[in-house]
This record gives sequence, structure tokens and C-alpha cells, in this order.
Amino acid sequence: MAADPRTAVETVTVIVDGKEHKFPKGMNLLEACLSVGVKIPFFCYHPGLSSPAVCRQCLVEIKGAPKPVPSCYTAVADKMEVTTNSPRVLEIRRQMLEFTLLNHPIDCPVCDKAGECSLQRHYFDWDGKLARNEGDKVRKAKVVDVGKHIVLDQERCILCTRCIRVCNEVAKSPDLTIANRGSHSVLTTAPGQRLDNPYSLNTVDVCPVGALTAKDFRFARRAWELCATPSVCPGCATGCSIEIHASRGKIHRLVPRENPLVNKFWMCDEGRFTYKAVTENRVRLPSIDGKRATLPAALAEAARLLGEDLAGAPQRVGVVFSFQATNEDTHVLLRLALDGLKIERVYAGGRALGGSDTILVSADKNPNTTGVVRTVPPPLRTLKELTRDLATGALTTVLVLGNEALPVAAATPVTVIVLASNKGPLVAAANVVLPIAMWAEVDGSFANKDGLVQRLHAAVPCPGEALPGWEVLARLGGKLGVEMAYASASEVFAEAAGRHGFLKDAVWGDSSRPVQLRFGESRG
Amino acid sequence: MADSIFAFFARHLPYDSAGFAAFAALLKSAVFILGFVMLLAGILTWMERRQSAMMQDRLGPCRANLGRFKAWGLLHFVADAVKMIFKEDFIPPKASKLLFALAPMLALAPVLIATAVIPFGAPLCYGRMTEAVPLGVCALPVEMQAARLDAGLLFYFAIASLAVYGTVLAGWASHNKWALMGGMRAASQMMSYEVTMGMAVMAMFLVYGTLEPGAMVNAQGNRPWQWGIWGVPQAIAFVLFLTAAIAENKRTPFDIPEGESEIVGYFVEYSGMRFGMFYLGEFIEIITSSAIAVTVFFGGWRFPFAGTLAASWPNWLFVLLSVGVWSLKVFLFCAFQLLIRWTLPRLRPDQLLKLGWQRLLPLSIANVVLAAGWVLFSR
Amino acid sequence: MAVTVKVVARPAGIRGHTYLVAVAEGMWVTFRHLMKNFPGNVLGLRKKTDIATLSYPEEKQAYPARNRGLHRLMKRENGDVRCVACMMCPTVCPAHCITIVPEEAPDNAVEKRPRIFEIDELRCVVCGLCVEACPCDAIRMDTKVHAPPTLRRADAILDMEALLARGEPSIATQGGTGPFWREKV
Repeated sequence: MAADPRTAVETVTVIVDGKEHKFPKGMNLLEACLSVGVKIPFFCYHPGLSSPAVCRQCLVEIKGAPKPVPSCYTAVADKMEVTTNSPRVLEIRRQMLEFTLLNHPIDCPVCDKAGECSLQRHYFDWDGKLARNEGDKVRKAKVVDVGKHIVLDQERCILCTRCIRVCNEVAKSPDLTIANRGSHSVLTTAPGQRLDNPYSLNTVDVCPVGALTAKDFRFARRAWELCATPSVCPGCATGCSIEIHASRGKIHRLVPRENPLVNKFWMCDEGRFTYKAVTENRVRLPSIDGKRATLPAALAEAARLLGEDLAGAPQRVGVVFSFQATNEDTHVLLRLALDGLKIERVYAGGRALGGSDTILVSADKNPNTTGVVRTVPPPLRTLKELTRDLATGALTTVLVLGNEALPVAAATPVTVIVLASNKGPLVAAANVVLPIAMWAEVDGSFANKDGLVQRLHAAVPCPGEALPGWEVLARLGGKLGVEMAYASASEVFAEAAGRHGFLKDAVWGDSSRPVQLRFGESRG
Repeated sequence: MADSIFAFFARHLPYDSAGFAAFAALLKSAVFILGFVMLLAGILTWMERRQSAMMQDRLGPCRANLGRFKAWGLLHFVADAVKMIFKEDFIPPKASKLLFALAPMLALAPVLIATAVIPFGAPLCYGRMTEAVPLGVCALPVEMQAARLDAGLLFYFAIASLAVYGTVLAGWASHNKWALMGGMRAASQMMSYEVTMGMAVMAMFLVYGTLEPGAMVNAQGNRPWQWGIWGVPQAIAFVLFLTAAIAENKRTPFDIPEGESEIVGYFVEYSGMRFGMFYLGEFIEIITSSAIAVTVFFGGWRFPFAGTLAASWPNWLFVLLSVGVWSLKVFLFCAFQLLIRWTLPRLRPDQLLKLGWQRLLPLSIANVVLAAGWVLFSR
Repeated sequence: MAVTVKVVARPAGIRGHTYLVAVAEGMWVTFRHLMKNFPGNVLGLRKKTDIATLSYPEEKQAYPARNRGLHRLMKRENGDVRCVACMMCPTVCPAHCITIVPEEAPDNAVEKRPRIFEIDELRCVVCGLCVEACPCDAIRMDTKVHAPPTLRRADAILDMEALLARGEPSIATQGGTGPFWREKV
């Protein structure tokens, strides 16, 4: 493979455990060793943070150095000879672990981190010996309510300072510190302060042990019961890569997934709670005028209403796209409403603007605004125009995808057909309600604010009789004489990619099965 | 007391009257079939399980107690009968109802009828029942035999072989292919072994010169070494008869038609008392074949010192004793058949037929020739 | 897979060929057992028999020390449940018969405890893995009691109250000091 001159950098030759390797100059030695499959345990090092070399777990021998050096704090240099598995290194590693465990309460049975804990893993990998300490351990505070979302257990803390660095370097909000000295060192906030910055839950992710745990996930499930599915956060237009951690069809938490293009290793606290909408207040069954109906009956009624109104006054029929919907749903609605039914009044809406910051959070709280705007040809009218048109009577029938708060007064004689996932005033007022799946239940794609198209994977089953939006729309099209046959979301995506430029270079990728955390690497 | 009863009978039912013959036959049938055969068959159903349990170091059925009356679980056969009578009488929907109902009767009735020719005791001396009557001097003997036929054992074979219709019909009428196959196995097996059984006894016809079982008993002596078993053709005939009889009864090691626990048998669709009739019929077959073996080979009711006792005991008491001795012999034979069942493993159908047609049948024919020669040259 | 048949040669000679001697030998064995057991058990003439059957309701098998019976939950010294809802037992349970819903314990030193602890004794396969997995000596199967028959399926699901009813304070302490739970104290 020819070296790309643009990415060519100066390389150095390093001998790791007797084997020669080439690394880019200036690379962190720990990262270099890990990248060639040499296992070195570490606690305080994190690829997204600075290295303080406080845990002394990653010590390696370098030829010529008087004593072992922390690999996370050493840059590779030419002709460096590194030994990571000599008896001396292994013994130091084991002794450091014993030292770390000296005052650790070993309350793994009640600790939420058990199963994905670095300390557990390293103990089994590198130590495995019985405790030798006699007498009591140093007791510290347990179950400290340290922040809005977080519980601190000072006993479990191994003083790696990762959380402190997350607050300092990522959230830019130095909330945490280490107080006292020696065995009595504790992680704590300043007196009277709380760990309430908008990125506080990242401290839980980076914590190698169970010192910081999320209140939301507290005691919900053990780590090994969870299955991880890669997905995208629907909280805002940033589109952070996430993992959905679900167990037995229920989502229990969202955690950030490494993506150097978008979110690196982090996500905001707000985004972590977007899964609540998937589990709460869902539309499970189709209904006609508020009464339970079968799906075929509801589809037939929707087709009848649309067909009659299109035959009567086609200029008074509108369609509302959603910035929350996937590219696949948007594309099928485009084919149904614009190509098939020739509806001219096209609107699009989503959640209102919200707060933003310079770190990750965008003001646009819709995950797929870019995708919808680039899919649907202009003019794309706004919700404001929709409100006006409804008030003036220019619109009598609307087909709505998604359940954004559409202003439909009960008095206005408007026929509303809505494909909704969550209950709300719109669903209550609609003539026909067709339940659709949400982002965590479907395969699909979102385009974030930079136009980056990212894959969603189905993590949990659809509730009740809900189906993916594209499937409901395709079946509705079948009733209206617009034939669209798709076997899967990937077929919709392939068709959409051939038509819309922004999807052209996007890759659908493999269908991803949820990975049980039991068989994964330890997180944090 | 006894005197006055006997005197009453002697006065009102003369020996040569038709009423006497009918009354005697009825009484003998009733006493013999209800009082002995049915009772023993019931006991055997319990004994088979209890004896097998003992042989296998188990306990077996020992719980059918009537209050404090325990009797080692002997009442299990009563409990079984009650259970079978009250069980659901299930007839498969597509079964032939008439034949389905007929089959168990056809299996049970012939074996009961066949018992008629079996002599089960010393003849009762009518009119001299309270006196001591030496053997063979009685003027008005009442044979302890429901029917004294000259055809004798031929009648037995003729009737007993009707039982095969019951099994084949059961297999056919059940509308169940496994039952049908079981019935076919039963038919081929019973046909095959009937021939050997008949040939084995035919050798004994030649030895005794009669077909009548009562006469055969009379031809044997009181002492065990005077019984029919002694002699080369007789011993061979006995082994052949016993083997063929077990095969006729469809019992292990020849239980291919039923194969209770593994291969499905012809009465798989039967339940309740209909099944009970097959079950009972099978145990009665054991008793009948044992009785024939005792009659032909083991001196019938005869026992040592019978002559002395006959000349000294009142006649009715002696007859009762002879019936008891006969019953004991039959019972021991039944127990022996049960012992065989719980010892030997089952044969394959091909082994069974090979044994029947290629080993036992030639042997039995050879034995007939041997017996003929024996009779010819020993006179 | 082809069926393989092992053909065993017939024994040679008239003795082996007819099997008559073998039959007689077999009958002698069964008869010997009959004669040993029948007089003793049925007639009551001998004390010693080979009978292995236990007449269950009257006679009962003495269970071995490690017999696994109905589950029970152990208690702390103050009577609270020892279980900390660590989910080891439902994780290891091959029959998925254990349901635990945890909750916050009022005592911070305990931190976690089960709100619901149910064992479906109908699904339980009595393997004892839950006991092996328990890090707290909270669940035991040493009751030597069989799962009782029930009229309704729901009655076979033991809740925490029922499981604690058989429990007693355990002296094993978390973290490893104290006697091993299997050792008799």
C-alpha cells in the first residue's frame, strides 16, 4: 500500500517486547502499545483526556531508564526498547493493584459498575490474589448525593482523577476535586457546590470503578444484562454517536460512542434522557376518531379521507414532514405525497429551538433537519405558515408524519391523519392515528447539522401495533393506488440514495445485532 | 347334617335322570369357573406383580387394605376390577363399534369354554358320599369335569384356538395401524405355536391311547414316578407343550404381540373392562394351559397315598382333598410360568417364528414318530 | 448416520445352541431372589430381605447433608434480608426462575436490597447454582423440604416473605471473614 503523501508523517521504530514496530513520532507510548495488541492495564489514562500518570498502573520498563516509567506519560522515541511483560513489570503491576484495592470496599454485589468495571477486570487479569490486609479499611462517605444526576461513593473511588479532568477539560466547569491526603484522600465537590454541569454524566462513563453512578440507571439492571446497539442521539442536530443499552426490550440508558467526527467520547446530559420518550406515553394502537381500530381499518379510513378530499379540493390538502423522522420515512412520504398524490402544500416542522453551547449541544433540537430539507424540494413551508393556513381555511386536510405540537383547534373543521409515536394534543384531535416506531426501534439514518449521515439500528421492539413510518406510509400508498414495495429500510435507503445527493456517499452498513455487554470490553 | 343333605339329593335327583346331569354340569361349571378359574386368574394378576417385585428386590403392590385387613395387598385384584369397571369406556371414533365390542368377548369366552374338559378332582361317588370308597370301585361316579367328551383335548384345542380371532379382531377394529400390526403379530404367532402344541399332545394321545383327559388321569398312577412325565417321548412332549403354551399365552419371552412398554400391542385402544377382559383372558389361558399340563403330564388330581386315603376317608372329604391337590399343582405351574416371564428377555419376531417352525415343529413331529415307535415296541 | 450392527456369534454346541442351560440358570437366579424375599416380606418368616423399596409416607430416606431442598433467604442479625439484589442468582439460573427487583436500602452501609424477590418453584430445576453464585450467603437450599404441590401455578411462586419465613440469621460476614457457610457451626 503506497503511503499517502498528505498523511505521511515521520515515523519512529520502537521495539515492544522484542518485536519491532513503527509508530508516528510523538505518539503516546501506551496508545502505541495498545494499537499493536500489547495489553497494558490503566486507570487514569483516557484517550480523550490529558494524562496525569497518577494511577501508576501502566508502568513499563524502558531500556536505559533507571526505573519503570508510566507509559501513558511517555512519548515514543526512535530505537526505544520497551518491555511490558517482564517479571518485574508484572510484579509492580500486581503490587499497584493490591495498593489500589487496599481501601476499596469490594462491594461489587451492590455496585452498579460491576461487570464493566476496570478494577474488576484488571484484578482478574493481573492480580487474582487474596487480600492480605488485616484490620479495618478506611471508611469514607457512601451514597453521597453529589449532583442532580449523580451519586458519589467515596470508598469505591481509586483517585484516578478522570472525572475531574472531564469536568475541567470537556465541560469546562471545574466542579470536582480531591481533598485530604494519603489514605484519606476523597473525591469531593467544593463545599456547597454540586456537580451539576450539563456534561456531568460523562464522569460516570469515564469512572473506571463505581464511585460515580447515575441516579437514572441506579439499580436498574446489572451491566451484563444489557445489550448495546449503536445508534444516534435524537436530542439535537449535532447527532452524537451513542450506544443504546437495552435489556429485555426496554432501554435503560444511552451512553456516548466514540466518533472523532462528531462527539469524540462525550455527550450531553440532556441527550441521555431522550430515551424516556421511547418508553413513555407511546401510541400503541391505531384509532379512528379516538376509538380503537385495526390497522387495516385505520389505513382504509385514512385512504378514504385523503382520497375524497384530494378528489374534491386538492389545493386544500397538505402534508407535514417531520424533522424528527428518519431519511427513510421522509423519502417514502415524499414519494407518497408529492410523487403519488401530487399534494402541493408541503410543510415541515419539528421541535422548537432550544439552548445551545459551544461544546456539543445545538439549538436545533431535531436530529434530521438537514436530511428533510435536502430530501424535500422547496418550497418547504414552516409550521407558522401551517398555523396561518389552518386558521384561514386554506387547508382542510393534513397528513402529518410525527407528533410535533401541531396547532389544531378542535373547532376548526380540519381532517387530520397523523402517523404518531407519542400521545399528545395532536393525537387526541386527529381523525385517524397510525402508530409508528421511534428512532430506537427502527433501522434508518439521520443527517446531522453538518450533513453527516449516520445509521440508526433497531435496539428494542416496536410497541403494540406500531410499525416503522416508511412501512405504514407504503401500506397507506397501497390503499391510495401509489404502489411502493419495500422489504426493508435498506431498500428504502438504496432508493433514496439514488435520488438525493446528500445520501449518495452514505453507506448503509451491516445490520448490527445488539452486543451483550457481558462479552464486551469493560467500559470506562 | 351332611348325611341328610346327601340323602335329600339322592332321593330327589336319581343318578341317571336328565335333571341330575344338567344340575351336576351346571354346579361343576359354576364352582369350577367362578370358584376356581376366575378367582385364581384374579389372584394371578396380583401375584404376577408381587412375585416379579420379589424377584427384583422390590415390594410390589401391597397397599389394597380393607381397613385392618391387609393380606399383603391381595385385594389389589378387587381394586383393579373396580377400577376397570368404573373407567371410561373409550371407543376410537373411527373404530368399528360392533367388532370392537366383540373382540374382547371372543378373546375371553373360548378360554373359559375350553376349561370344560379339564378334570379337576377324583370322581365323587354319588349316593355313597359319606362312606369311604376305594378308588375305582364306585358304581355311580360323578366325574369332577364339567364336560366329559370323547374328543377331549381336541375340543380344547378347537375352542382355545378361537381366541386368536379376538386378538386379530381387536387389532382390526381399533382403526389403529399399530394395533393392527400387533394383531397380525399375534395371529402369526398363535397359528405357528398351535401346531407344535397339538403335535406335542398328539404324542401323548399315542402313549395314553385316548383323547379324553379324565381317562388320561386314570391311566396315571398315584405316585409321582407313575405320572405321565416319565419316559423320553413324554418328557420331550412336556417341554414342547410348555414352550408352545407360553407362546400361545403371548407371554414373555414370546410377548411380541403386546410388548406392553415398548412395541404397541393389539389392545392399545382398549380401556376399562374391555381391556380387563383381554387381561383376564390371558391369565385364564395360563391356568388352562397349566391345567392341561398337570392333567397330561403330572397325574391330574393324583397324589401319593391317594388309594389309602380313599379307602379310609369319607368320599366327599377325599374328593375335596383331591381337588385341593389338583389346585395346588395348577397353582405351582402358574407360578412357574410367572417365573419364566420375569426371567427371560423377549425374542424378536423372526427368532420367534424360526423357533416355532424350524425347531419346535420338526422336533414335535419327530416326537410323535418316537412316541409311536415307543408304543409299538414297548407292548 | 449409518446404523452399525454388531453381530454376536451364536454360542457353540448343543448346550449353548439351545439356551436351555442358560434359561435354567437365569430362572435359578430369579427364583433365589424370590425365595429370599418372599418368605421374609410377604410371609414375615425372615427378617432379612434384599428389598430396596421404601414405603414412602411411613419410611423416609435420610437426606444427605448436601441435599438441595426448597430455597430460603437468610437474615441479617437485625432480621433484615441478607440479599443485596446483586442479580448473581438470576444471572446464573439456567431456568430463569428467579425474579428480583432491587430498591434503595435505608442503611447506606447496605445500600441495595430486593423489593421483590420471587422464585418460581415450578421452573426451578434444583441445580443449586444460585447458592453457589450468591456472594452474601443470602440464598440457601439446605431446608431439605421438597417444593410442595399446589393447586394453582401462582401458588408455586414463593415471594420474599415466604422465602424469609424459613430463613435464620447467618453469621457469615460479607468480605470473607467468619466460617465458610458449608461448615457446620
